Order: sequence, then structure tokens, then C-alpha cells
Amino acid sequence: MAETLANEKTAAETQRTGGSGRRITSIARNTFREAVRDRVLYNLVLFVLLLTGAAVFIGELSGGQERKIIVDLGLSAMLLFGVFIAIFVGVGLVYKEIERRTVYAIFAKPVGRGEFLVGKYFGLCLTLFVNVIIMGAGVSLALTYVAGGRDPLALSIWPAIALIYVELMILTGVSLLFSCFSSPALSALLTFFVFIIGHFSADLKGLANSMGSAGARWLFRSLYYILPNLTNLNFITAAAHGQIPPAMQAVTAVLYALVYVSVILTAATLIFRRRNFK
Amino acid sequence: MTNSASPNDWVLLAIIVIGLTIVIGLSQRIDSQRPPVNPALEEEQLYLNGKTAKRISLGFEGMVADWYWMRSLQYVGGKVLNSQAAIRLDDMSALNLKLLAPLLDASTTLDPVFMEPYQYAAIILPAVNPDDAIRITKKGIAANPNAWRLYQHLGYIYWQQHDYEESAEVYAAGGKIPGAPRWMKEMGARMLAEGGSIQAARQMYQHLYDESEDDQVKQMLQRRLLQVDSFEQRDLIRQVLKDYAANTGRCPASWKDVMAVLQSRFKVEVSTGAPLDPAGTPYLLTAGGCDVDLNPSSSVPYR
Repeated sequence: MAETLANEKTAAETQRTGGSGRRITSIARNTFREAVRDRVLYNLVLFVLLLTGAAVFIGELSGGQERKIIVDLGLSAMLLFGVFIAIFVGVGLVYKEIERRTVYAIFAKPVGRGEFLVGKYFGLCLTLFVNVIIMGAGVSLALTYVAGGRDPLALSIWPAIALIYVELMILTGVSLLFSCFSSPALSALLTFFVFIIGHFSADLKGLANSMGSAGARWLFRSLYYILPNLTNLNFITAAAHGQIPPAMQAVTAVLYALVYVSVILTAATLIFRRRNFK
Repeated sequence: MTNSASPNDWVLLAIIVIGLTIVIGLSQRIDSQRPPVNPALEEEQLYLNGKTAKRISLGFEGMVADWYWMRSLQYVGGKVLNSQAAIRLDDMSALNLKLLAPLLDASTTLDPVFMEPYQYAAIILPAVNPDDAIRITKKGIAANPNAWRLYQHLGYIYWQQHDYEESAEVYAAGGKIPGAPRWMKEMGARMLAEGGSIQAARQMYQHLYDESEDDQVKQMLQRRLLQVDSFEQRDLIRQVLKDYAANTGRCPASWKDVMAVLQSRFKVEVSTGAPLDPAGTPYLLTAGGCDVDLNPSSSVPYR
């Protein structure tokens, strides 16, 4: 009897964990479809126009530095567009489902709240991935056009592009976290602040070191470690000079980002599980 | 949503077109009524220095550096276009380019590896403000200690200031950098031995010409090399004039008097016998036939 019960429990557990992946994939796929339906990828048109304009006209304005400027402009636009998508789509991921009351239908099925959040997160990450890949290909093509043939920069920018994507993964997680307990407007504002502070991390650390009071020092040092350090992932300027981030540094930065995202998603799940939808 | 346009759609479209036309007309009117820009305000210092701009650029510092770089090019280009006089790239002192140094400074602070602004600073700034040119190039060396080209630029700036000792030191230091060409050390020695000589100038310009990738800079250096050729030619012509005066007791009345001697060494204008400068313009006989000078219409730089 005890053995039968244990077997049933194991079978149910296996089904549950095996099904969890499927459920997350299904939610992610739907989130991606919804983003496409919401014309999120239309930003690519603007990006293509920007790059085409830069490739054709920047030569006259840049004193022969068009390749560097195309990389700077292309990768910066990629980051900026990605940040806007991560913020403005990210903050609506959960809120829209609650507002439209579709969340009730979802949770009536055997879908955990954590699975729902992780699925939503991966769905938006997939949207951003498609976005970044197409934009990266656009920058490489523009470089090939400007160089009038094969350009080593067209390949060497890809590690920096990968790190831009990782930065966007963090921001997507942050916007999802805020959207679990706050309104979309406030979530967008808070996520944007995190983006700004994330690029001021070095100043935060410097501020902590220059503080006289131990309490203030502790506070700023805590903020430095708690808030994401996005400068670890920024190699745009170096990429424009054909430099590739050192492998060890890049791997550590990606590892940092993955751990950070896991922490954010866990915190978001914790908060979301406590929300009452009755 | 239907595909066929209703009459109302056409009305709305017409309103958009008419509205845009009015907006364009009004904009042109406002532009024409605007008082001319006060040059004093236009020359106001930058609101943000490089360090502040870097701090607030949120990871987009490369793009902001490009923007400052392009702005410095437009700034110089605009001044050149508005100027009535013929302006040379390496002597723009007449243009009052007081914003150029802060613009190049900001660009190189935002992206210290960006080499083009350093070259621009080394070529243009010495005539405007040599101290700024030296400061920006030294900043570049501090940020890129292995970039021997920056030492070449700094050596060139000191050479222009006739500080041959300092120039020699900089060339020697640059020559020690792994990957630096051998001539960097040679230039260091030459600066110390004969910094003010024509040969030193020729070598200086030739190496800068070989290393530069900027068309405008190359053109400027090509003209400088023509000038060096012209200096040498004029020295030789002066010797011919001196010999003629020594033999006849008077300076030549026209080029024809020395044409036979000159023809063996220079290209000469057949009708007048005047020797041609490296740009193909006839030289002028001056000081009553005792001296030679460039023709003002020549494209060879006078100084």
C-alpha cells in the first residue's frame, strides 16, 4: 500500500515537472505571438531606416569614421530600442492579464504562478532575441556595404551584441518584478531608474567609499551590490574599435546576469504568489 | 476595417496635406523673422565637459563621442565656409576656433581609444592653441600608452613649436614602443641634431603622409611636401642668381639671362625662361633680379 502510494506520488511528480517545462514553453510562445500581434517588431523598420540613412549619409559627416559610427549608432540603437521594449512590454505582461481577467482562466488550469511568470519572461526574452538578431544582422550588412566587401567588424561586434541581449534580459526581469506589485506607469518609471542607476554603478561604489559615516557607507555599498551593475555588460564603445571583450570577463558577466535574473524571477514569483485574485 | 477610401477619408487626407503645407509656410516665416545668430552666443562654451557627458551617457558614450567628433568637423567646416579667405588645414588661426579644443577634448574623454580626434588636434590645434594640442595629445598617450602614432603627433606639435629637444624626446620614447617603426628613433636623433632643417621637415611630413588615412590631411601634407621641394629649389635658384651676379657684376634682368643654367636643373617656362615650382607655376624674379619667390597664384604654401 505504502509502495503504491509512493509510486503514484513519483508518477505525479514526474508528470508535474515534465509538464512544467511544456506549460512554460506554451506561455512563452503565446507571449511571443502576442508581442508580434502587438506590432512590437515594427521598431525594426525604424532601425533599418536609421541604419540605411547612417550607411549612406554618415560618410560625408564623419571624416572617414563611418564604420565606427555605424557600430556605435547601431549597437546603441539596439540597446535603446531593446530597453524600451523590455520596459514598456515587460510592465504590461502581468498587468494586462489581470486587467483583462484572463489570469483567472489561466490559473483555473494546472498552471503555477511561478510557471506563468517564467513563461511570460521567456516569451519577452524570445521577442527581444529575434529583435537583437535582426538588428545585429542589419548592422553587419551596413558595415559590409560601407566597406564595399568583407569587413572584420561585421563579425567582431557579435560578442558585444550578445552582451546587449544579456543586459536586456536583466531589464526584462526587473520590469516583470515591478509589474507584479505595481501599476504599469510606476513599474516603467522604476525600471528606467534601475537602468540609469545600473549605468552609474561605479559612481555608487565611489560614493560609498567617500562617505564618512559607516551607516551611509553600508547603505551605498548595499545598493551597489543589490542593484544590477549594467556597466559589466557594456562593450559597445570597445566593439566599435574592433575589440572583443576578454573571454573570462564576458563569461563572468553572463554568469552574473543569469544569477541576477534567477534572483529577480524568484522574488517576482514570491510576490506574485501572495497576490490575491479573488 | 475596409480597404476602399470613403469621401470622409479624402477630406481628412486633404486636411493633413493642407495643414502640413501651412506648417511649412509658417516655419519658413518664423525662420525669416528670427534675428541673426549672435556670434558671441554661438561661441559659448560647451554646457557639458567630457567627464560630465561620459557620466550621463548611460553606456552610449561611443555614440556621444561620435556626435562630438562630427560636431567638431561641422564646426570647423562651417567656419571655413563662412570665411572669405583661403584657409589651410594646418593654419586656421584666423578662424577663431575656440570651441574646437573643448569639442575634441569631450570626444576623446568619452572614447579615449578614438584616434581620429587626436590626429585632428595635432594637425589643426597647434595654430589655434598649441597648449591645448599638447594637452589633448598627452591625454591620448596616457590612455593609450602603446599607440606610437600619438607620440608621432606630439613630436610633430613640438617640432612646429620649434621645441626640437622635446620633440626628440617624444620621438625617442615613441620609438621604444613595441611595433613602432624604426624611423621613430631616427626622427628622435634627427630632431636633436638638425630639428630646424629642411630634411627634418621633409621626413616629418613624409612619415605623417604615409601614416594618415584622412584625405584632407594627406592633401595638406602633400602641399607641405611641395613646399619643402620648393624651399630646396629656391635655394638652388638663389645660388644660380648669385653665381650670375658674381660673374657679370649685376643681377639678371630677366629669367632669360640664366635660362641656360636653369634649364639643365629645372623645368622652365619656354616663353619666359622662368623655372617652374613643384606645382607647375613659374617662380618670380624679385629684389631687382637678385632673389626668387613663389608666385602668389601658386598652390605651394607660402609659409
